[in-house]
Amino acid sequence: MNTETERTTGTLSGEHTLVALGLKKSYAGFEAVKGVDFRVSGGECFGFLGPNGAGKTTTMKMIYGAVIPTGGELTVAGLDVYHHEREIKRRIGVVPQENNLDDELKVEENLLIYGRYYDLPRKLVLRRAEELLDFMQLSEKAEATVEQLSGGMKRRLLIARALLNDPEIVVLDEPTTGLDPQARLLVWDRLRELTAEGKTLILTTHYMEEAARLCDRLVIMEGGLIIAEGTPGALVEEHVSPQVLEFRTDHRSLEELVPIIEAASDAVERTGDESILAYTEDADALLERVRGSGAKIENTVYRQAGLEDVFLRLTGRRLVE
Amino acid sequence: MGTIRIPSARGSFRVWQRNITIFRKYWKSILFPNFVEPLLYLVALGLGLGAFIQQGGINGQPYVQFVAPGLLASNAMFAASFESTFNTFVKLKIDKIYDAIITTPVNAEDVVGGEYLWAGTRAALYGTAFLATIVVLGIMFGQPLVTSWWALLLPPMLLVIGVMFSVMGTLFTSLIERIDLYAYYFTLVVTPLFLLSGVFFPVDDFPAPVPQVAWFTPLYHAVNVCRELATGPSPAVLADIAWILVFTSVLALIPVQIMRTRLIG
Repeated sequence: MNTETERTTGTLSGEHTLVALGLKKSYAGFEAVKGVDFRVSGGECFGFLGPNGAGKTTTMKMIYGAVIPTGGELTVAGLDVYHHEREIKRRIGVVPQENNLDDELKVEENLLIYGRYYDLPRKLVLRRAEELLDFMQLSEKAEATVEQLSGGMKRRLLIARALLNDPEIVVLDEPTTGLDPQARLLVWDRLRELTAEGKTLILTTHYMEEAARLCDRLVIMEGGLIIAEGTPGALVEEHVSPQVLEFRTDHRSLEELVPIIEAASDAVERTGDESILAYTEDADALLERVRGSGAKIENTVYRQAGLEDVFLRLTGRRLVE
Repeated sequence: MGTIRIPSARGSFRVWQRNITIFRKYWKSILFPNFVEPLLYLVALGLGLGAFIQQGGINGQPYVQFVAPGLLASNAMFAASFESTFNTFVKLKIDKIYDAIITTPVNAEDVVGGEYLWAGTRAALYGTAFLATIVVLGIMFGQPLVTSWWALLLPPMLLVIGVMFSVMGTLFTSLIERIDLYAYYFTLVVTPLFLLSGVFFPVDDFPAPVPQVAWFTPLYHAVNVCRELATGPSPAVLADIAWILVFTSVLALIPVQIMRTRLIG
């Protein structure tokens, strides 16, 4: 979208626009966020990864004022969340995890009504609505009611809505969940444009590829705590060896294979009864040793280690709910 | 937390504005039942039952003239009660409209303030349409149902009455998790008020403690005010208006706080 230079409170790149110190949230008998620290600079895309229930959404909600922290400090756009609720909300945009559009209204009407909540003049809202619908490739649907939109279109409309007040910071809670690959690519492209414009993005996601592509830095949360932080590249470097070999074979042969692979690689992960992942600096050498052992292997897949490996290493492979 | 939240005028207005925008799209399709129902009561009881009531009516008033303004008050109660129960519940729990609003500079307390105003507005709109109808019907049948220019104050009064019942309905909404629990509210609160607040017969003529009990209920005063404004008020109407204003303002901030803690964890 065309940036309008009427923004009064531009964020200077490098300045911390979001700072959390010892941030906590507990509900009766349950600690959702157990004291987290993070700093986000203006213009950065900052990601939160973590399994369901890790405290990501609670952290997002504390940023946009839908949850009041029970401890610690949090400043958003330089303002304390405990005392500047309205002012913060005026300066941020929010894409919630759940669709909460006005279903009975047309696409454009949703934006018009939303613009009033920010006291924006109608003419300005009309112009921005047109730009934003174009930006999110929804112009043709301006006159459709929300009920008539597909799930992907609704999420794109939520993003357009979040940009209506030209926010400094955009908080996106799982912006691409449920989108088809084409729509996801469109959203990624648009989010990158927003950071290029200097907006700060805070996002949660379950898609490692998304985090790796979009985020300048990210944290991994688990059980209400931040367990790792860094750039996607640094996290991979720090937590896993660069090369991954996946061996597949029947259950009995795998049992024979495990000690051989364990001895020759940096780390192994059992991914099921019939497959194993080996992390190593030198995949060729490992493969040669395994083949030399004479054990039966049905299939081998080689790839570079990525964020997904870091994520699974740190948060475990088991489904925890 | 700790501090009592008071709705801001700006935020409440924005929420009210959202509701009226949607209402303007659909009012034609929803006005009919709200409007016909009091008319049915008026015909069935005012004319039907009224025909069996001895000449002289109630305190010298023809029965249909007695019933009509009472129905005006109870209609305002129903309009505001539906708005603050089922409609509010859907926005709160099903469509999650309030979750969207509170991420903007409109706060949770403004949402409740705006809903009060909107329920009052809706009660006034329906009530005014019904008022116009009974005026016309009265003239057509040579039996004036509204006989005083004070009746011009009825629309704003219906707004106040609507806000009062919205506060009560919102209080119930703020306490429940399931939509089917409204059966309790309507069966145990709204219907008894409708039947026993002097809409259909004057409760003041009953032996103690009936009038004393009635004095503590909101619709009783709303009916008194409407009846007096329709036929020319006595100074006693000021006591009823004061009762409504005090009751509403004492209760109004309680649902605001509860709804805020529901919307903001």
